[in-house]
Amino acid sequence: MESLIILMILIILGYFCGTWFEKKHYKSINEREKAFITMPTITAKTIDINQSDVENSQLVYGSVVISNDYFKQILASLRNIFGGRVKSYESLVDRARREAVLRMKEQAPGNTTIIINVRLETSAIGSNANKKNTIGSIEAMAYGTALTLKI
Amino acid sequence: MKYTPGIVKENVNISKESPVYEFFILLSGLLLIILGLYFILGFAINIIVPEISPELENILGKNLINRFEMPENSGKRNKSLQDFADNLQKKCINLEYNFILHIVESSQINAIALPGGHIVVFSELIDTIDSENELAFVLFHEMGHFANRDHLKGIGRSIVFIAITSLLLGSDNQLVNLMTQGIQLGENKFSREQEIAADEFALRSLNCFYGNTAGAADFFNKLADNEKPSGFIGKYYLTHPESKNRAAHLENYSNAQGFKTQGRLIPVPENIKQEHD
Repeated sequence: MESLIILMILIILGYFCGTWFEKKHYKSINEREKAFITMPTITAKTIDINQSDVENSQLVYGSVVISNDYFKQILASLRNIFGGRVKSYESLVDRARREAVLRMKEQAPGNTTIIINVRLETSAIGSNANKKNTIGSIEAMAYGTALTLKI
Repeated sequence: MKYTPGIVKENVNISKESPVYEFFILLSGLLLIILGLYFILGFAINIIVPEISPELENILGKNLINRFEMPENSGKRNKSLQDFADNLQKKCINLEYNFILHIVESSQINAIALPGGHIVVFSELIDTIDSENELAFVLFHEMGHFANRDHLKGIGRSIVFIAITSLLLGSDNQLVNLMTQGIQLGENKFSREQEIAADEFALRSLNCFYGNTAGAADFFNKLADNEKPSGFIGKYYLTHPESKNRAAHLENYSNAQGFKTQGRLIPVPENIKQEHD
């Protein structure tokens, strides 16, 4: 009986807190994306400029770890049985990637003109995430080369 | 080539459907599958169990008893209880079992029926009873489980349940926890019905042995004094019916069958009640 109540509380808590944190995070992501819109980031390895025009180039990266909540975890393990899109984890990965890109931009020097050769990586932290009493988290990492061009 | 920065307006990477809706659809789907399998296999057990011969059951029981590390069937107290049970069986029970009685030191007021005719009586139960009639009722009750073969059905259903949930979900899953609790509620109802059936069997046998059913309700009335009311929801969590209701049912059943409910209560034989060895 007690374990059922605890599980229910965790699921309900997970749903409400998880949704609240997610909304808050998306609000922050949207605002920061708007603020950084003037800093282009592209996946191309090279751009067509003279080397002599480059004032500074450096590696920039941003990484973030986001944990899933109990509700998402239970929903995902139900999905595991039937198959199909694990919708509960979609927002998790989306948030992690966008946050990582933002952090990468935040790490770039203020006078950065462009970040080229941007790459994204994801990994699961706590690989035994399916085991009892462990909650899995996702790490997203974005890295690229920040170029400052002479004006 | 001109670079055009853009702000995400419509996020295509996230599904818009409500996760709560998804949760309930998946959970009910899973519950339906498990319940379906459970009933089919439970049904199969009800067909198979009556076919298990007492000899086969003895073999099953032997393994089980060894696992429980039952004490050797020795000691004067145990022997007295064994003689008493043999006497009960000889006079009033026509079952193909050689009942083997075990007294186990424990603070629980309980007795268990295990495959192969093994009846385990916890010492606290013997300390609680006040008359031989009560003891006879408890032993008849356990024999009633053998008559209805509840001991095999119970074990069979538990195994089926554990097997299904582990197969579907893996043994180490929180969902198993959720399911176990849910299905246990249904199982408890089944178990409560078995208890009532065994009570009625015990009552009939008690009437056969003593010519009256005095003492049967006493045991439950005593238990009821120590029992907290379980309330509207709590009662679904009981594997046994509430003692107060059992006592009331016993009286109703006695009256309906025309049994004499009053009679002389025989004291518990000294060597069963007091001797601790």
